Amino acid sequence: MHAQIKNTGKLPPGGSATALTDGRTRAQREELLGWALVLPSVAIILALILYPVLYNIYLSFYQVNLSGASRFVGFLNHREVLGDREFWNALLTTIIYVAFSTVGATLLGLGTALVMNEKFPLRGLVRSLILLPYVAPVISVVFSWQFFFDPVNGIFMDIFYDKLGWFSQRINLIGSPATAVWVAIIFSIWKNFPFAYLMILSRLQAIDQNLYEAAEIDGAAGRHKFLYITLPEVYFVVNAIILLRVIWNFNKFEEVYLLTSNVKVLSVYTYLKAFTGAMDLGQGATLAVLQFILLIGFILFYVKRVIKW
Amino acid sequence: MVTGKRPLRKIGFALLVLSIVLFCIFPFVQMLSLSLKYQWDWGNPSLIPSRLNFDAYKELLNIGQSLKNVPESIINLLDESPDLTPAQRSAILAKYQDTGDVFPFLKYFGNSLVLSLSAALFSVILAVFGAYSFSRLRYRGRAVVQRGVLMVYMFGGILLLIPLYKVFVSIGLLSTPTGTFIGLLVIYMVQTLPVSLYMLGNYFRTIPFSIEEAAMIEGASRFGTIWRIIIPLSISAIATVYIYSFMIAWNEYLFASVFLKSYKDLYTLPIGLKTLFVSKNAIWDRIMAASMLTALPVMALFMTIQKNLTGGMAAGGVKE
Repeated sequence: MHAQIKNTGKLPPGGSATALTDGRTRAQREELLGWALVLPSVAIILALILYPVLYNIYLSFYQVNLSGASRFVGFLNHREVLGDREFWNALLTTIIYVAFSTVGATLLGLGTALVMNEKFPLRGLVRSLILLPYVAPVISVVFSWQFFFDPVNGIFMDIFYDKLGWFSQRINLIGSPATAVWVAIIFSIWKNFPFAYLMILSRLQAIDQNLYEAAEIDGAAGRHKFLYITLPEVYFVVNAIILLRVIWNFNKFEEVYLLTSNVKVLSVYTYLKAFTGAMDLGQGATLAVLQFILLIGFILFYVKRVIKW
Repeated sequence: MVTGKRPLRKIGFALLVLSIVLFCIFPFVQMLSLSLKYQWDWGNPSLIPSRLNFDAYKELLNIGQSLKNVPESIINLLDESPDLTPAQRSAILAKYQDTGDVFPFLKYFGNSLVLSLSAALFSVILAVFGAYSFSRLRYRGRAVVQRGVLMVYMFGGILLLIPLYKVFVSIGLLSTPTGTFIGLLVIYMVQTLPVSLYMLGNYFRTIPFSIEEAAMIEGASRFGTIWRIIIPLSISAIATVYIYSFMIAWNEYLFASVFLKSYKDLYTLPIGLKTLFVSKNAIWDRIMAASMLTALPVMALFMTIQKNLTGGMAAGGVKE
């Protein structure tokens, strides 16, 4: 931030009022160049992100026909979606999925960051290994997780049925919606906790060590140092992580759909509605709009009530 | 904590680190192990294969596949008739080679590679100019542009998928393979563009303006300073952003699955793998080998840029 103010505060040589040969001032030319350079990016973002979002709202009022004219139906799609039991089931699944995966990934990230902030041999290697789940393509890791929970060959059942006897028989945890959602949550935590870990670790490294020294002189115990120094210092970044993770996990599609076909969170439900079977794009658009409204509502609530900006 | 003298604590800490590492890499280890096991070995919970089996990799990479599925008698026949020309030989072999059953891994790999490399390239080129604009130049509306770019964090793929699909179908873009490819390319580019803009913008701000100022006093134009000063000075950041964009495109499934549905020849690795898994169930060795080979380029790239990328990620420059 500081660098930004310093750099942009300085005007190019010549000063802003100097009239140049083409009749424009330096400031005007800078404005023109600024827009010219950013315009391609802005145009493409407007055309391919902002316009589709608005067009999506428009589509939600139509019975969409891919090959012919679409028919205006008013709020019919909205009424149908809200009257559909499956929508409410999907919403409930989404809330469970988002809540547990976000809290899990954030807590595990916090714990890991605290551990990785200590000095120990091979720390550099360990730190980069931890990031592997986050960078690996979803498609390349889902099969390994499916195999892990595979009822016939999987290691999970080998340990918890054969060795420990916690289950009465080998069961397919990914096979039924009630248990598959928990598999999806564990997978999401595994895949995404490195993000929380990384953000928190970089915040921990920025804490002034004098604070801890001063606390030690005052005779503070380890847990007091954690409660009264570390936690307040990471409070903001943890909140930011929770906010981002809720947004991202709420919109997640691949990490659920590729792992199991039995967990119908809203994004998966929308995808199935819009692109399989009858391909009802109008209802799909309606679902997408409702998701977006829910998300905006949550963001406003969280920012106003929890972070208190 | 570790500096404490109590050995018990030390051991406990070591176990903690070990369990975190195991949790992170276990799926990868299992993937490697399974890709090298024979079918009769799958149920064996040990991660070390009883006997190594490289068939899955050979099949995916198309190594030594020319005689596969050819009956023994035909091979013998060919061996016993040395007067056949090479053309006749391959004609006979081609009859028996069952190409329909082979998973065209290399083709999908190539599709993914071309798509990701070019999407990342366009994204970075646009981002260099855009980021320069809002990190260096002053104009009305700059703050709006900068903040607007960050809004993209809120839009999930599914929200954009339906309208973009409808638009692309309406303008006929999806009716030809080339059009479909371009459509997907543009989408991948725009998905990574906001993050590229943000990360590069942050980096450009750390380059002292005085260097550019000196060049401009010498008579260099704005484009001259971008080309000769900004780009060389931030080449590592640009490489990082490029690889990050590459990874996003390489991993993408949602748009590819909808757009490429009717173009099997254009399949990228993620849809290819998904179809392989659905069509031929329980061929764990091949699935795992394909998973390994899909993950490897990304892992290798990540390791090379790890230091820069983690810095950028911690500074908030990521989107999922």
